[in-house]
Amino acid sequence: MTERWIDRVAVVSVSGVVDMLTSSQLETAINGALDQKPAAVVIDFTDVEFLASAGMGVLVAAHDRAGSEIAFSVVADGPATSRPLKLVGITEIVNMYPTLDGALADYQA
Amino acid sequence: MTDSMPPAELADAERFERFGLDADARVVAQTRQEFARWLQRFFALDPVRYSDLVLAINEALANAAEFAYRLADHPGTIDLRATYHPAEQKLLVDICDQGTWRTRQIDPAPRTRGRGIPLMEVLSDQVAIEASADGTLVRLEWNGINRI
Repeated sequence: MTERWIDRVAVVSVSGVVDMLTSSQLETAINGALDQKPAAVVIDFTDVEFLASAGMGVLVAAHDRAGSEIAFSVVADGPATSRPLKLVGITEIVNMYPTLDGALADYQA
Repeated sequence: MTDSMPPAELADAERFERFGLDADARVVAQTRQEFARWLQRFFALDPVRYSDLVLAINEALANAAEFAYRLADHPGTIDLRATYHPAEQKLLVDICDQGTWRTRQIDPAPRTRGRGIPLMEVLSDQVAIEASADGTLVRLEWNGINRI
């Protein structure tokens, strides 16, 4: 899990597995980024190979915590990530982009 | 089955069985990986179907690990039995525990939790959940599954 900044956008990149064993690490990383009051937080799941409901709950909680002050989005594309996020309606709550470039383009008006 | 018995393991072209699994997050992850390898070894699945199967069984195992033994004073176990029926091209996966079923919380609907069962419902062709005083059985079913 890595955090990097592009102007005032914090990008938290995750790889591998996000399940009930690892989702608390994701929550800690996202909260750390939100605490620094960025303009936006982008969670990059491009290299995530498995995403369970525990990780989806973390995304929704982080979205709620970001509130109206901090834009919050997730980058995901594929059968293990974007598909289940769409199927259970997470994408009706959290903005989802298929690529990181697409997400960043939206925050650099 | 007594607590002292090691988990029973079996995997061949027709069955994948894990009995007496410890109901915790680490064992859920390990069992999910073993089940995924079993799918890859024996079945011709496209990436969507493969992902759907692995996530669905993960959610059934995770529900048992997280909720089934919440009221128990000792750690419980989970049994998983997957059986392939070649004549019907059907894969059945039973996941059972001996814990207490936790009724789905719908009022107010939790935003951050409770997506395990909705996931199982959309990722499988059929799901049945039988809760009784003896525990909970989740049966997931997929059709049109072919061997390699």
